[in-house]
Amino acid sequence: MNDTVTAQTRKFMTNRLLQRKQMLIDILHPRKATAPKTEIREKLAKMCKTTPDVISVFGFRIHFGGGKTTGFGMLYDSLDYAKKNELKHRLARHGLYEKEKTSRKVKEVRGIAKANVGAGKKPKE
Amino acid sequence: MMRQVILKHALLESEPSSAAEDLCDRGKSCKYERSPTCKTFFSCPQTGRSEECRGVIGAVSQRHTVHIKREVLESDLPSAVTLLKNLQEQVMAITAQVQSLTQKVQAGAYPTEKGLSFLEVKDQLLLMYLMDLTHLILDKASGGSLQGHDGVLRLVEIRTVLEKLRPLDQKLKYQIDKLVKTAVTGSLSENDPLRFKPHPSNMMSKLSSEDEEEDEVEDGQSEASGKKSVKGVSKKYVPPRLVPVHYDETEAEREKKRLERAKRRALSSSVIRELKEQYSDAPEEIRDARHPHVTHQSQEDQHRINYEESMMVRLSVSKREKGRRKRADVMSSQLHSLTHFSDISALTGGTSHLDEDQNPIKKRKKIPKKGRKKKGFRRRR
Repeated sequence: MNDTVTAQTRKFMTNRLLQRKQMLIDILHPRKATAPKTEIREKLAKMCKTTPDVISVFGFRIHFGGGKTTGFGMLYDSLDYAKKNELKHRLARHGLYEKEKTSRKVKEVRGIAKANVGAGKKPKE
Repeated sequence: MMRQVILKHALLESEPSSAAEDLCDRGKSCKYERSPTCKTFFSCPQTGRSEECRGVIGAVSQRHTVHIKREVLESDLPSAVTLLKNLQEQVMAITAQVQSLTQKVQAGAYPTEKGLSFLEVKDQLLLMYLMDLTHLILDKASGGSLQGHDGVLRLVEIRTVLEKLRPLDQKLKYQIDKLVKTAVTGSLSENDPLRFKPHPSNMMSKLSSEDEEEDEVEDGQSEASGKKSVKGVSKKYVPPRLVPVHYDETEAEREKKRLERAKRRALSSSVIRELKEQYSDAPEEIRDARHPHVTHQSQEDQHRINYEESMMVRLSVSKREKGRRKRADVMSSQLHSLTHFSDISALTGGTSHLDEDQNPIKKRKKIPKKGRKKKGFRRRR
C-alpha cells in the first residue's frame, strides 16, 4: 500500500514588513521518516504556485510515535527580497550565500616576522 | 332591473349570441346564461345559491362574471362613497399635523445635540417597524410582489438596530424595573440593596469634622478682617479614620478552609467518580474531553509549543528540562496509577497518610534563578 506524504499549512500569516508569507507546515508521513527539506520545498512550491527558490523551510520536529512532523516555512515575494531578508545560514543551505571561513587561531611567528605582524592576526590560508 | 342589466351587457358584447341556447339550467326563471364547463362559481342572485358555471372561460363566462361584479358594485357603491369621504378628511387632518410638525422642527423646538434618549429611540424604531410591516402586508395582500421592495430593506435596517439595542436593554433592565416599581408603589421595597450602599460621610470621625467647622468659621472672620489664615489655603493632611475591621481568621478557620479544599479535591477523584457511575441511573458517558489530570509538566509543554509556533523559532531544551520531562513521562507510563489512589481521607474523616511509594506533597519555595536567558519565553510566576 502506497502511503503518500501530505503537507498541510496552519497559522498562515502575511508579513508585509519582511515581504514574505510565513506559516506552520504539518507533514503527514505514516510509516516513513521525515521527508528531506528539498522535497518539502518543492511540495510547498506546488501548493503555492511559485518556484522553490523563494521558499525556505526549517525547524522540523517529529511528533512522538512518528507519522507527523511540524515545521516552519517562509515564502518570499521575490528572490531579491529573499536574499535581503532571509537569515544567512538558511541562504547558505540553499547555496545562495557563502560564508568566509576565517580562522580564529593566531599563527605563531618568531624573530623578525614578529614585528611585521601588526594589530591584526594573520589569516590562515 | 335584471333585464336592464342584461341588455347593458349585450351592448357591451362585441359578438352577438342567441339568448335561448345559453340560458342556464334553471330555465326561464333564471336569466343567467349558461356557458359550458367554465367551472367558476357564482352566486345566482335570482335563486341565491352558489352554482357552478358550466362553461369555458370565454366571452360568455366573462359576461357571467361581469354580471356578478356589477351586482356587487352596485351594493357597495354607497359605502365606498362614505369611505372615500372619510379618507379625504383624514388625509387633510394628517397633512395639517405634518405641516405643523415640520414647522416646529425647523424652528428648533426639538434639540438633538445630545442625542435622543434610549427609550425614545426604541419607541420610534418600533413604530417605524410596524408601519413598514403594515405597508408590506398591504402590498402583498393586493397582489404585488415584494421583490426588491424598498420596505424590506428598511425593515432589515430597523431590525438590525433593534437587535443591537437589545444588550443595552438588558443592562438597563434592572434600573428601569426598579424605577417603575418605585413609581407604582410609591416607596422603595425593604429588600432594596441600595439601602446598604456605603455612606462615606459616616466614616469621618466626629472630632475631625468639628475641627473643620472651627477652621471654616475662623477663615470667615479673618477674611472679613483682611487677614488670610494659612490653614485656609493648605490644610494639613489628616488621613481618614476608617472604621477598622477585626481580622478574624483564626487557626481553626484556616484548618476548616483547608479541609474544604481537600474534600472538594477528593470528591473529584477517580474512586468517588467510579462509585458515582456505578450507582447512578444516568447512562454512561464516554467523553473525549481534556484529561482531568493535567500536570504542571503538560501545561509547560503546551506553553512551549504555543511560543514556538507563534514566534517561528525552535527553543533548546536544557538538561534540567529534559530531566523533568523524563520524570513526568516515567510517572505517567508506569502502572503507578493502578495501585495508588488519590487521597480521600478528607471525606472519610481520617488523617492523611501516604504510601511509601508516593511522593510527599512539597511546598514550592521561591528561589530566584540566576542567568535566565530566555526572557521572552519564561513565564513569570
